Amino acid sequence: MLDDELLSTHLQELRRGTVVLACLLILKQPNYGYALLDLLGRRGFAVDANTLYPLLRRLEKQELLTSDWNTEESRPRKFYRTSDKGVALADTLSRGWDELDTAFRTLKGES
Amino acid sequence: MTTTSTLTDRYVDAILRHLPGRQRPDIEKELRASIADAVDDRLEAGSDPAEAELAALTELGDPARLAAGYADRPLHLIGPALYLDYTRLLATLLATIVPAVAAVVGLARGLQGATAPRLIGDPLGAALTAGAHIVLWTTLLFAIIERTAAPRRTPARPWTPAALPEPPSRRARYGELITQTVLLVLFTTLVLLSPAVSTETDAAGAPIGVLSPWLWETGIVYLFIALVIASLGFSFAKHYARWSVPLAVTGSLVLIACAITLIWLAVNDRVLNPAFVEAARWPQSVPRWIGTGLVVTSVGTLVHTVAEGIARARHR
Repeated sequence: MLDDELLSTHLQELRRGTVVLACLLILKQPNYGYALLDLLGRRGFAVDANTLYPLLRRLEKQELLTSDWNTEESRPRKFYRTSDKGVALADTLSRGWDELDTAFRTLKGES
Repeated sequence: MTTTSTLTDRYVDAILRHLPGRQRPDIEKELRASIADAVDDRLEAGSDPAEAELAALTELGDPARLAAGYADRPLHLIGPALYLDYTRLLATLLATIVPAVAAVVGLARGLQGATAPRLIGDPLGAALTAGAHIVLWTTLLFAIIERTAAPRRTPARPWTPAALPEPPSRRARYGELITQTVLLVLFTTLVLLSPAVSTETDAAGAPIGVLSPWLWETGIVYLFIALVIASLGFSFAKHYARWSVPLAVTGSLVLIACAITLIWLAVNDRVLNPAFVEAARWPQSVPRWIGTGLVVTSVGTLVHTVAEGIARARHR
């Protein structure tokens, strides 16, 4: 059998980058850090808080997300939303993912 | 509040300490909200406040790591983009300078007729010191390049063919850079060793340095070495950073300052130690020829620097 460490390394490598696409897709509806963390986990994109929070800021710096402070509730929260540029990137990445999926299916069908 | 709120404060402080000032207020506000959300979530699930906070902070992990993520700082000293250049330069320096230093010290001690333990011990000690210095400074240099000039993961501008390296190829120029570094380190080492290691000794048996003691008394020698090292730094900057007018001009100015200092020293007869010339029984013409040689070399460097600077500026 595969040992756990090897398995987790390879799974991590495979998932790297998918969190960005998941964020861009989910954040078409504005949301804040902790809720997004929870949502990603429930939708099957388990990610660590200490990876997600810096990632959101990086995507914001790259102008793929925009942010607004919501101070209406008792606890002020920073809400992120996918920008037009982010939506365009999400479309491209989605196409890339579909192409990969098709390629894998073909590969597995042939063998 | 209870001690539990202090824990969050300490965590947030530990993060902010590693961040540039302008990022702090926004990150602090967001981070505190995120931690509070995580704590609330656990409280709703029925854990007690202290446990909830402990668990939330544990999940966020080492503050230094999280801060590095926020600041987009590398968690390595020298990354894959520079690692090969680093090992190549380090290997070349160690393979050339260390044996050269050992040989020079050994030769000098041999000519002085030193005893066997000193004949073996002194070159070994000098080689070890030289090796330690080379490793330390090379590593420091590359760690600085990694944190400043290295190509970032998120380039500020889209890449265009105009950003291609100048001919001759980058590899060829890297070879030049290595040669320049090796020569410079060798030169600096020999200059710094020269008062202690000499073929001539005075009546008391102390070595007579080949270079004028005046250089040390006035500190000019350190100034000169600082200039030479600065010029090497600019060579590295030119290699790793994008060419820019301020960089090129400052680099050239440092080189020109080196050359002018050397010319001034040679013209005023401040390079060689008169006591050494006397002890070695050199004819009067030798110091004159050395002086002329230094002036000619310096003028050559001056002309080359200015010509290259103009050529590169025109090329842009």
